[in-house]
Amino acid sequence: MAKPVEKSENNQIDKLAEAPLEFVKEGSQFLNKCKKPDTKEYVKIVRAVGIGFVSVGVIGYAIKLIHIPIRYLIV
Amino acid sequence: MSAATPPGGQRTLQKRRQAQNAKEKQLKQTPASTRQAGHGGSSNSILKVYTDEANGLRVDPLVVLFLAVGFIFSVVALHVVAKVTGKIF
Amino acid sequence: MAGFRLIDVVKPFLPLLPEVEIPYEKVPFDDKIVYTIIAALIYIFGQVPLAGVSKDESTVKDPIYFLRGVFAAEPKTLMEFGIFPLICSGLIMQLSAALRLIKVNFKLQHDRELFQSLTKMFALLQYFVLTNIFIVSGYYGENLTIVQIGLLNVQLVGAGLVAILLSEIIDKGFGFASGNMTIETVVIATNLVSDTLGIAQIKVDEEGNTEARGSLINLFQGLRSSNKTFLGGIISSFNRDYLPNLNTTFVVLAIGAAICYLQCLRVELPIRSTKARGLNNVYPIRLLHTGALPVVFGYVLLTIIHLIAFVLIQCIARNDPSSIICKIFGHYESVNNLLYAPTFPLSLLTPPRSFANGLLSQPLTFVVFSAFMLFNAIWFASKWQAISGSSARDLAVQFKEQGITLVGHREQSVARELGKVVPVASTTGAAILTVASVGGEFLGLKGKAAAMVIGVTSAFSLLEIISVDYQQSGGQSALAQVLGAPGRF
Repeated sequence: MAKPVEKSENNQIDKLAEAPLEFVKEGSQFLNKCKKPDTKEYVKIVRAVGIGFVSVGVIGYAIKLIHIPIRYLIV
Repeated sequence: MSAATPPGGQRTLQKRRQAQNAKEKQLKQTPASTRQAGHGGSSNSILKVYTDEANGLRVDPLVVLFLAVGFIFSVVALHVVAKVTGKIF
Repeated sequence: MAGFRLIDVVKPFLPLLPEVEIPYEKVPFDDKIVYTIIAALIYIFGQVPLAGVSKDESTVKDPIYFLRGVFAAEPKTLMEFGIFPLICSGLIMQLSAALRLIKVNFKLQHDRELFQSLTKMFALLQYFVLTNIFIVSGYYGENLTIVQIGLLNVQLVGAGLVAILLSEIIDKGFGFASGNMTIETVVIATNLVSDTLGIAQIKVDEEGNTEARGSLINLFQGLRSSNKTFLGGIISSFNRDYLPNLNTTFVVLAIGAAICYLQCLRVELPIRSTKARGLNNVYPIRLLHTGALPVVFGYVLLTIIHLIAFVLIQCIARNDPSSIICKIFGHYESVNNLLYAPTFPLSLLTPPRSFANGLLSQPLTFVVFSAFMLFNAIWFASKWQAISGSSARDLAVQFKEQGITLVGHREQSVARELGKVVPVASTTGAAILTVASVGGEFLGLKGKAAAMVIGVTSAFSLLEIISVDYQQSGGQSALAQVLGAPGRF
């Protein structure tokens, strides 16, 4: 009687061990199918995001600069 | 009892289709999110919380912006008062 | 009575909860930009120091320092907890509603409104609870007077309400898409600029020498500094650990560039129109289908765990290593008089302060922390892609409405075909993003890596919506003309 139980346990453990493997396999298959950007497209995107990020950041930092005299005033 | 229908055939197909239809209908009837119900809200890559105008204390967005700045300045004023009186309350 | 429903709890509080009005007509593109930027700037302006904090140095330091970057939180300011309560309540409520833990019928307007109010109240409640946890723990100083406690409560809960309403303004259509993500992205961008180019002088030692906050500015100052040698200035600007250094800046920029690359990865499914012949096109399914949300979710769980641990260790056991709670969960050690670094069991879920330090003193962290984050992100991605209204089935419905279908498939099997791609894309994308942020964390970036991952990915998600909006407004934007960007998105 002990044998089938052991077997099913083994199966479950196998399944648990297989899940990450399966995941990695599916994922890498998907990655292979993916269309990769060429250099020109990539540079364009990096530049657009960089400009956007830095300009928003500079505007935000300008506000943060107001905090310096305020802190000086109140501390 | 020779009238028993053989397995397979049209009726089974029909049943299967009905079951599938019912399942799909049920899935459609109980949307899991506001967007699935067709009213905007969080999408696959956006977390959005406020889509409907609920009952409550209605306020205009401009009023909110001014009150927010006012609130922040009142905290600054609190600092100044604390410094001038020289006490930590 | 058809049973008790959680969303009915909010009913008695409805008249008290402020609710931003929905715009009567569609807000023009330019107004949206102005509203968005002003709301985000007011949030940044809200990083004012708290009044009523005890002047004496408290022994209780910041226990969640590595989580602050992700949630736009600044220690000992009005925005002490950032938008963590907003994101936490939004994500958790929507997830539990979708998993049917909370009964909501999204088809009914009334239910949707109640659910939304409940989310708001939950966020406000979190601000209140967090404030009092931090007060009780002694973070704002021991022996606070009643007035001080009252003032802190008013300030922090009030600031929470301000954050909620600012995000609501953007959410409701005065801004673009999502208030939470807009505020987060703007704050992360600001922090990046302030860490690189910040000119604020900060006292670094007892003699009153100051160094600039920004790593690049510090390099220039180090070259001309009187109290350091030429070489010493350069070396120090690369590896000082008390303020942002050039190494971390480079790592953060590299992560940003990597995310841009990942964002471009997509599978293009060929589609054709069912109405007209010869209209062929491609429909892209992105690798980062679920965007930054899986990583955000991982960090929400991490924050909850650390806050519970903080309550147990600091508020109950008073950080006494001999007490039984500290023996089970570990205790805090104060580092540089600034941070609270947890010891053993809890340190497993705390990213190391530097790579070498982590390798020497907490090697197990590398395994446990990444496993924790990966598991959460993948689980969340697989659930979220199905519930958020962009699952394979929803896309198939959209296809049908727009009269398109996948090339080589009948209309009925579109959902199945998409079902092979979308979940895999979501989970794989979530896993890769997590690896990027966790990998950055292990280099000792104290939350900046994850913040950058989330910031750039959210920026992409928002940019997509902004550009669609721009095109819908017909490119009629005075702002865009002033800025000289004629439809470049």
